[in-house]
Amino acid sequence: MSDSREEKMADYYFQCEKLSVGYNGAAVVSRIDLGIEKGKILTLIGPNGAGKSTVLKSIARQLSVIEGSVFLDGKNLFEMSAKEVSTKMAVLLTERIKSEMMTCGDIVSTGRYPYTGYFGVLGEADKKAVKDAMELVKVGDLAERDFSAISDGQRQRVMLARAIAQEPEIIILDEPTSFLDIRHKLEFLSVLEKMRDEKNVTVIMSMHELDLAGRISDRILCLKGEYADRFGTSEEVMEKDYIRQLFGIDDEMKEFADARGIQLF
Amino acid sequence: MEQKRRIRYTISYLVLVLGIVLFFVLNVCIGSVKISVSDMLACLTGKDVTDSVSAIILNIRLPRAVAVFILGGALSLAGYLLQTFFHNPIAGPFVLGISSGAKMCVALLMVFLLGHSIKINSASLILAAFIGSMISMGFVLLMTRKIHSMSMLVVCGVMIGYICSAITEIIITFASDSDIVNLHNWSRGSFSGMTWDNVKVMAIAVTTTFVVVFLLSKQLDAYTLGDSYAGNMGVNVRFLRVMIVILSGILSACIVAFAGPISFVGVAAPHLIKKLFGTIKPILMIPACFLGGSLFCLFCDLLARNLFAPSELNISTVTAIFGAPVVIVILANAKKEKR
Repeated sequence: MSDSREEKMADYYFQCEKLSVGYNGAAVVSRIDLGIEKGKILTLIGPNGAGKSTVLKSIARQLSVIEGSVFLDGKNLFEMSAKEVSTKMAVLLTERIKSEMMTCGDIVSTGRYPYTGYFGVLGEADKKAVKDAMELVKVGDLAERDFSAISDGQRQRVMLARAIAQEPEIIILDEPTSFLDIRHKLEFLSVLEKMRDEKNVTVIMSMHELDLAGRISDRILCLKGEYADRFGTSEEVMEKDYIRQLFGIDDEMKEFADARGIQLF
Repeated sequence: MEQKRRIRYTISYLVLVLGIVLFFVLNVCIGSVKISVSDMLACLTGKDVTDSVSAIILNIRLPRAVAVFILGGALSLAGYLLQTFFHNPIAGPFVLGISSGAKMCVALLMVFLLGHSIKINSASLILAAFIGSMISMGFVLLMTRKIHSMSMLVVCGVMIGYICSAITEIIITFASDSDIVNLHNWSRGSFSGMTWDNVKVMAIAVTTTFVVVFLLSKQLDAYTLGDSYAGNMGVNVRFLRVMIVILSGILSACIVAFAGPISFVGVAAPHLIKKLFGTIKPILMIPACFLGGSLFCLFCDLLARNLFAPSELNISTVTAIFGAPVVIVILANAKKEKR
């Protein structure tokens, strides 16, 4: 038994075991079991309120879990030091940054926090990492612009640059594409794919755009409130009837959609 | 670009330091007795000057100017910390009612000690003020659980301030006559009557706090992005929050214990400094806000002493005239940004 478990751990870079998450001891999603290899994209889909953000917050250690464990690279995530996690995991959350008077360059520079010395002064290597990250997501020209004065799409890309500057092995993103127009959605996802393909970065995110999720993800986790319903590749998960059931689309709505040729994904 | 920024920071620091030197000298020289700069220099370098001049300089004006420098800086730094803590540019010890809480406890202690003819020492005053500021801060923190809008939080802070001031007034009303004059002046804020002993105590307390704040500058930097991002970067957010509360409490306590509540410096000075530097990087802002608050208070105290001499204005009267408009400007701009 213990042998097989070790084997599994060696295969999976990121693994949840009987993970239950929620607020103040009340579970929102219970007993999630999943594992993904390094350099894969896992996307959480499901209706509003199904607990996507709760799961993401929990595995980003923002929220204490109710039960179960999460393993990152074979180590128990909740027993790792904050410093160790900060060099492995970057996050991009829906929380808005309220600070005034920070340039986009300043924001991206904060990604270097785990690597700088006691007073956080950036060295040459840090500056290069910041510059490279900004160029990768095509916001190099925004470096001197005030973060509060740019568009939502630009802001989201700057935040992605910040996460990339952190040189993580895994990035957690909560609905990163929700407020972007279609061009920016595609651009954003292409960067994530590039990170996966070129730097072998693991990505865990939540998304509402099923069509995009199905095409970019290596694995999909369907959350249905209270429990994780399905976990697998997009071919395994993305069935029309199943998606209808997952989101609670009744016959009337189906008729409406069919009559107008609206595709669910 | 980086070069440009560096030049801006250097010039800004130079402006602050030169301004402080200028107003420090003016504060020592100008007053009911005019003292020439050469007399002042002679006195400070230990050369012979008349006894009255040296007494005025060494016993009255110099300790006062040094106290204004220290407390003004402390006030501004406390404001900066609270603004960082609440992610709110108009947070400050006075606006959030923290100064008034400290004032209430100090008034209680003073009346109690004077009533029992016990001599008041600086340390016990600071302690009382610290307890008072923590009580107010506690209330404000309870409020933040329910109130998330920045202006509403400030309104609550002002209300807490009024309650504490009302209690202070009641305490003063019941105090015996001889105490009242003393308490009344102090409860409106004034830098008068500073002694070297006072200066020594406040210097130790404020310097220590300043050093600790400076050592936290990297954590504060991460914290400006919000709790979650700070946590992800490996910052112990809970520890940092407790530290900010305690440190800003100590700073506010020092000010109230020695000079009474002083309005608006904690909001206006950091804001002007952020605009001057064009950044909010804590490692630059911590020393700069301190210097900015010092400069602001040296300027205001000079006016307070001399504008209507021989009678002296409350320091808060002057700081409010220059500080409150800054708050209004911040509020007006904040609305613009949110659309």
